[in-house]
Amino acid sequence: MPLDLGRVQKEIRDIERDKASGVTIEIQGNSLQKLIGRLNGPRDTPFDGGVFYVDIQLDDQYPFVPPKMRFITKVWHPNISSANGAICLDILKDQWSPALTLKTALLSLQALLSSPQPDDPQDAVVARQYLSSLAEYQSTAKQWTQTYAHAQQVVGLEAKVQAIAEMGFGREQALEALRRANGDEQQAMEFLLGA
Amino acid sequence: MTFEVKIKKWHAVASWTWNAGDDVCGICRMPFDGCPPDGKFPGDDSPVVWGICTHAFHLQCINRWLQSQTEQKCPFCRRQWEFKQAVVGGEDSDS
Repeated sequence: MPLDLGRVQKEIRDIERDKASGVTIEIQGNSLQKLIGRLNGPRDTPFDGGVFYVDIQLDDQYPFVPPKMRFITKVWHPNISSANGAICLDILKDQWSPALTLKTALLSLQALLSSPQPDDPQDAVVARQYLSSLAEYQSTAKQWTQTYAHAQQVVGLEAKVQAIAEMGFGREQALEALRRANGDEQQAMEFLLGA
Repeated sequence: MTFEVKIKKWHAVASWTWNAGDDVCGICRMPFDGCPPDGKFPGDDSPVVWGICTHAFHLQCINRWLQSQTEQKCPFCRRQWEFKQAVVGGEDSDS
């Protein structure tokens, strides 16, 4: 069965209408299966002032399976891979329910930034630092926020992904390289060709 | 002075609605009085069902969810899902 477009369209409209939630969503290309979510770093955390982008992919089975979400913006957090943005969050895995939505999932990511769960880490190095030296963790996380989480980071991202994909690379690969290159297309190409 | 009115013909018009508290299904987000995405006709072809936890969904929607899961839980409250038996001839008081 194809993706339930009616529900996804409603969800997107609902996010657009709700200006107070602090999360937004953008459609990538002309299908509704690839989206980019955006959330603000929560106050009183090392992520305060940052803007975080999330790559969202919807399977045909959505909402009966969770959306695939991954941070595009580099984040220093015990439950987010500092290497590839993979997220460890129960509702994106076995605790997903079709009563949840893209909005509630993005809000959960925001909540995850506020309350790390170092006992169930996605990034063991960050988790160890969090447990052994909280001040150091906070300072690194803050530094990463200042370096990577600014608003302009994904301007024209999809165009760059397309351009790289036209060279014969996969979308995932292109996104990954752009992420490592912090959005620099030239540098991303060099990563891909050098790899 | 009185009028005498003779009714020659009349059209009966009735409206129906599911007696469900929320107006949209929590799975497909379509109105209960409409169809789920794979339904063609509202009403008896797209029935609404209740769990014993009092949450309601389109039958097609909740079935698809339960079939995809090993544990049978309500999408809203995660309580064990059990279909609530319909009250024959009675008013369903859930809302």
